Amino acid sequence: MILRGWMSGVTLATSSFVAALPQVTVIDKNIPLVSAKRNRSTESASERSVCALNSGLRRQSPRLTIVKGAADRAATTAASDAAEPRELDWSILMARAQAGDSAAYRRLLEEIAPYLRSLAARYHNDRSDIEDAVQDTLLTLHAIRYTYDAARPFGPWLVAIANRRLVDRLRRQGRLRARETPLTPTHETFPESRTNLEGELSDRYAVEAAIQKLPPGEQQAIRLLKLKEMSLKEAAAASGMSIGALKAATYRAVKSLKTILSRSEDK
Amino acid sequence: MITTPDLIDTLATNVPPVRTLRRPTMRAAGWVVFAALILGLLSVSEGFRPDLVSILRDPMFDLRVAGALFTGVLAAAAAFMVSLPDRSRLWLLLPLPALALWLSTIGYQCITDWISVEPEGMHLGEAAQCFATLVLTSAPLSLAMLIMVRYAAPLRPVTVSLIGSLAVAGFTAVALSLFHAIDATLMILVWNLGTAAIFAALAGALGKKMFAWVGPRPSIGRST
Repeated sequence: MILRGWMSGVTLATSSFVAALPQVTVIDKNIPLVSAKRNRSTESASERSVCALNSGLRRQSPRLTIVKGAADRAATTAASDAAEPRELDWSILMARAQAGDSAAYRRLLEEIAPYLRSLAARYHNDRSDIEDAVQDTLLTLHAIRYTYDAARPFGPWLVAIANRRLVDRLRRQGRLRARETPLTPTHETFPESRTNLEGELSDRYAVEAAIQKLPPGEQQAIRLLKLKEMSLKEAAAASGMSIGALKAATYRAVKSLKTILSRSEDK
Repeated sequence: MITTPDLIDTLATNVPPVRTLRRPTMRAAGWVVFAALILGLLSVSEGFRPDLVSILRDPMFDLRVAGALFTGVLAAAAAFMVSLPDRSRLWLLLPLPALALWLSTIGYQCITDWISVEPEGMHLGEAAQCFATLVLTSAPLSLAMLIMVRYAAPLRPVTVSLIGSLAVAGFTAVALSLFHAIDATLMILVWNLGTAAIFAALAGALGKKMFAWVGPRPSIGRST
């Protein structure tokens, strides 16, 4: 029984190493160990990444020691080893992005976007808010990417930026919402023309009644020029009146209408 | 509105190489050297106080200057540490012992000597001259600090500006202690921490706009 426990522990530890190995190999292939174009700062960043990679490789070397409770420990190690290469991978990608590698930068941003989305989902419910928060974090990361030290883990750097931006965003939203009033159906209903139909109709009847009281010439002038919105030329052609007579009739009509309507309002 | 994949595409297209920051301790050391340079220039232009040799024998004076100096150095180190996203805020505690030492030796003569009243009338006292020294020391140091930690604008503008102002205050106090025969510690604290409070309030109210002219703007198509 004990032997079986040991054996399963050894198997799990070995399988975790084997599972981690292909990922490390891929990372290794992506690192240009020698490049004539690199500047000094780039070189040091990449070298540090390689050192980090080597230390990562050293960490993952298999140890076939017989330890009590190895099965449980191996399971834990397998989980942490799965996270470590990803972190290491992001560190290397960021170091390469700092050196101007667009492909590495694109891959990094694409890989961290879902992670940032999950972080943002803790603070926001709305999907558009979550996407805005992710984009805000990506833009900030882009603006201060030179502050990342490739010798240090990438995760805390990323999470600190994301948390900072998320908290700032929540504060900004809080301030905005304190000054805003949500639109209710009542707000939308009152400005509608259909809601105010009764008032508009009564106004229309009052204007029509006032026009009826005007002399025929003024009535015709006001109907053609104001109600039908004709030009002076069109109104002159339609009525047979001269443009001057139309202007004078309209002037008198508007004046009379003002008097009639103000009188009816007083009543 | 731009989608996240489009944004990634925009950001990753033709990303220019960037020069990474040096270690925060190195950068803090650089700022301290700059502060020392300012103090050196002031010593040439204004000269040390006449009683410097005798007052250096006073342990309280030595403690005060040492406290201010260590506050300046440690606060500068803390400012450069805290300005980075992945460093702990516990670094803010670094200058506290030195600050406690400095504040324990505080004096207030400068406030009382602001304007001298003499039989022939009022004239500007020593305090006005030490105010000039204060501005000449703190202005370039504050500007240098602001530029050196500009990347903290979207992260911790208020905290960094406060701790940075404390560093400037420390060095300004050292300058005044060495160049003027007047104890101006309280004025320095009021001046620097008052400035820091205004700075912090503005930074809090306006956010990254405060650093807009020096800080990196998180926008598309701009390299840092």
